[in-house]
Amino acid sequence: MSTTDQFGELLEAYALGALDAPERAALEAHLAAGCAECTQAIAEARWLVSQLAYSAPDAAPSDMLRGRLMQIVRAEAASRRISPTKSPVPFWMWAAVAALLIAAVYSAWDARRLQNQVRDIHNRAVAELANREKIEQELAEVRREATILADPASVKIALATNDPQLAPLQAQWHAALGIVLTGQKIPQPPSNRVLQLWLIPKAPGGKPIPSQVVRPDANGNFVLLVAAPPEQMANTKALAVTEEPTGGSPQPTTTPKWVGAVS
Amino acid sequence: MFLAAFIPKQSDEASRDATLVHRLLQRDMRAFEQLYDCHSRLVYGLVFRIVQQAGTAEEIVQDVFLQLWRNAARYDTSRGPFLPWLLTMARNRALDTLRLKSERQRRREDQTEELPAICAAPAFEQQLDDKRRVSQVRDLMASLQPQQKRAIELAYFEGLSHTEIADTLKEPLGTVKSWIRNGLSRLREGLQSAT
Repeated sequence: MSTTDQFGELLEAYALGALDAPERAALEAHLAAGCAECTQAIAEARWLVSQLAYSAPDAAPSDMLRGRLMQIVRAEAASRRISPTKSPVPFWMWAAVAALLIAAVYSAWDARRLQNQVRDIHNRAVAELANREKIEQELAEVRREATILADPASVKIALATNDPQLAPLQAQWHAALGIVLTGQKIPQPPSNRVLQLWLIPKAPGGKPIPSQVVRPDANGNFVLLVAAPPEQMANTKALAVTEEPTGGSPQPTTTPKWVGAVS
Repeated sequence: MFLAAFIPKQSDEASRDATLVHRLLQRDMRAFEQLYDCHSRLVYGLVFRIVQQAGTAEEIVQDVFLQLWRNAARYDTSRGPFLPWLLTMARNRALDTLRLKSERQRRREDQTEELPAICAAPAFEQQLDDKRRVSQVRDLMASLQPQQKRAIELAYFEGLSHTEIADTLKEPLGTVKSWIRNGLSRLREGLQSAT
């Protein structure tokens, strides 16, 4: 009797689960040793034993069991479908991409901010430059006026008036730097009118040459610089001032209130 | 062609089960429903016969089919027929429940995670439909001596060992072993001759 024959009588009882512990342990040791013949025979014995299920009395589970079971399975299938799948991209890579995006957005925002700052600074610089030019121009005019007024080479011209209510005007003409006309305590003309300086040429029949306009301040004071007189001093017989509409006129529209001869 | 006559052909039912189990592996709920509808009566009848309580039997049947749904991948379709494997799993669960009643310290989870070993249909097997197989098996069991039949039933439906059966029937151990061995042989021969 071979070892397989020895265990052969136990195989179906083993499949049935009827072997007592010592016999079961011995058979399992034999199977564990790799007996292919007994392993196959055991599998067939299990099939044979399973057929005993058909001898059980007929019985049917309730419909509720089916419904309950299908509900559980359906829920599990649904949760499996909606469960997030593992991303093929590792988390650190998403984190790096997110960091890069944030950095890019910040860089763009920062660049825009810097651009705006540069534009503001540029605009301020332009404004400052314009203001400075204006101040420099005003300063140059003041210096020019001061030079004209202080230089002995300037010709003093007194512009007299026939109106006893008005104070005379003073003008100083520097051949190279221009004319400075000043007035003090001069009543302001109406709001739509200004005072305009005229150069009266020496030439016979020559028409008054229009020059600049000025409006006294609230105290009746003004200083008018004519840096580039429209006519040379040598060709000018006199200076006159009339009251004209705002912006001045190409030729006098009123009788001169002040007149002074250029000596 | 000549050899094919000696190779057991798979019945329509076995072929259907193999197809359904294959679909089950793809998480096909419809396949699961069909497997349940085909086999739940037989599984429930077996489990109810063992535990003798409808509520407990339904719990066990639910566990068995849920285990099938969740662990279908662990069933190797190439190694044997599906239904005997399912019946073996159901019987094991039901017997575990019975044993738990007398051994309360054992945890049920320790048992329920185990799947049964594979079954192999013998060469003569040509699976019959359930009605014919029920009739065939019951006829064969009825043909056994009452004590022989009782010994096999005590082993199969109540999970008793040779010694426990001998004690229950108050018969010698050797006699019980012979009854069981000879009874299973008659069953095998009867199934073989029927095909």
